[in-house]
Amino acid sequence: MGKKRKHSEAEAAILEKKEEEVAPERPKRTLSGWKEKKDDQANQTESTTFFRNKEKVLVTCSRRISYRYRHLMLNVVDLLPHCKKDNKVESKSSNGATLNELVELKSCSSCMFFECRKGKDLYLWMSKCPNGPSVKFLVNAVHTMEELKLTGNHLKGSRPILTFSSNFDKDAHWKLLKEMITQIFGIPKEHRKSKPYHDHVFVFSIVDDHIWFRNYQISVPHNESDKIARGGLDKMTLVEVGPRFCLNPIKIFGGSFGGPTLYENPFYISPNQIRALEKKKKAGHYVKKVKAKTRRKMHELDNPLEADEFSEMWKE
Amino acid sequence: MGASNKESRRFNEDSMEEDDLEDVSEPESEPESESEDEEDVKLTEPSKKAIFNRDGLLDKLGDISWPENAGWVHKLSVDIDQEQQVDVNDDLTRELAFYTQALEGTRKAFEKLQSMGLPFLRPEDYYAEMVKTDSHMERVKSRLLVEKKKIEEADERRKAREAKKLSKEIQAQKLKERAKQKKEDIESVKKWRKQRQQSGFAGGDKGSELDLAFEDGKPFEKSSNKRPGVAPGDRSGGKARQGVKVGKKPKKRDIKDSKFGYGGRKGSKKQNMAETTNDLRGFNKDSLSGNKKRKR
Repeated sequence: MGKKRKHSEAEAAILEKKEEEVAPERPKRTLSGWKEKKDDQANQTESTTFFRNKEKVLVTCSRRISYRYRHLMLNVVDLLPHCKKDNKVESKSSNGATLNELVELKSCSSCMFFECRKGKDLYLWMSKCPNGPSVKFLVNAVHTMEELKLTGNHLKGSRPILTFSSNFDKDAHWKLLKEMITQIFGIPKEHRKSKPYHDHVFVFSIVDDHIWFRNYQISVPHNESDKIARGGLDKMTLVEVGPRFCLNPIKIFGGSFGGPTLYENPFYISPNQIRALEKKKKAGHYVKKVKAKTRRKMHELDNPLEADEFSEMWKE
Repeated sequence: MGASNKESRRFNEDSMEEDDLEDVSEPESEPESESEDEEDVKLTEPSKKAIFNRDGLLDKLGDISWPENAGWVHKLSVDIDQEQQVDVNDDLTRELAFYTQALEGTRKAFEKLQSMGLPFLRPEDYYAEMVKTDSHMERVKSRLLVEKKKIEEADERRKAREAKKLSKEIQAQKLKERAKQKKEDIESVKKWRKQRQQSGFAGGDKGSELDLAFEDGKPFEKSSNKRPGVAPGDRSGGKARQGVKVGKKPKKRDIKDSKFGYGGRKGSKKQNMAETTNDLRGFNKDSLSGNKKRKR
């Protein structure tokens, strides 16, 4: 197995090299649309020959992850053709070193780690691996792609358009998160598993200090996909494909899976604390009742009822 | 009396207090109950200990970000202005905001791609593996169909109900109108008769009736020929049948029938109802009072 992989990687490397060499000629042999603006394309490629996005994302999860979160992870794997899925990692040993080692072993440049705790809380780690920053999110409001009310569908491996709400540029940590998200969720151009069309959009939007994720299919009414340039744009609609989730950033670290803390969410309360609070509130119920009872008793003792003047009226 | 009044008032106050307490505690617990988009509780004010190392963050950003000349094609990212603050708990507006963001983003991206001469949507004849399998899409479709059918059925049922209601109303109106018509007719005839009498016509009632009969014409003669309700072969002229009918049901039977009922189902008569169960007339009152004594 190992041998094989090495071989394929080597092949890929060769391929990449070849592609780089051949890159300027590429437009000729691709779809007819490219031919018209050949020179333009050539310029484009010339300027970018020395930049090549070689992002690879390792996607794993912790042990004892619940099925819903596992499905979410699998959906993410489906959406990102440039990712490698790995076996579950023991949650206890999910301290930075082992994970970093794993990522290095898989020769990935970033990692998404779904950590499930207590079978109900999902934390998502995103990290840039050798020495980049890492973020820990709490994941909320999860809807997987399997849900039947999400009716869209799109090509597997087509490159998404990433849309960000403008409040990502407001603060330093949001900027950093935006960069990380574009690198992790953006599929590298000309990735061998990617497809040359764009038929879905990712939405990353900050509402209420959470990052909300949505995935929409771009659909144009039938027979008009070729006419899209001429007015078909107005008829473009979006159908949600899923998954949906909402990320609440907890901390940003300087290193990958560890290192100095650069940012801490000042508003964050851990779900454990929330549950504890809830329990406390429930516990207070009985105490309150007892207190009210004693108070009432004291009150009755303090101001006793006057003797009823009519009480002996009917006795005789 | 006074004491009991006070008591009750106090009791009310107590219960009010409890209500207040519940009211206070409710809004806090609400987000937990909303399982659809389980929103977490936030601290009301930022904790002061929180670390925020702006320089470090920007440093890291500089470290990881791609070179300037990487080109938009690699990123494919679009920034969209959010016009106004979106209320998180309002699902509809929130989703709408996301939708508009996506739509605007695609439009912008499309223009950019178009200007670069890159392909955008897949052509009709380009088939490849999709994110969701065909079987899954089949299920989605079937669910949509089922939902549509459900809605239609509900619609139909509602329509039928309304039609029934309407027809009932119309029927009632019709009956009312008919009754009114009849009343009016009778009234008019009476009026006419009165007028006739007042006008002092010598012929009096007889004449008028004769007139009426002649106006109608045929019933007068025909009735003499044929009696209503008599079979053509009946020699007794219908009298025999009448006799039999009356004779077969003596008075006694009638009385008994009215007392015990006649025909119909037996079960419904023998069942207990709310009234009959509460009716304790048949029981001995003395024994009840004896019970009371025993209790004391």
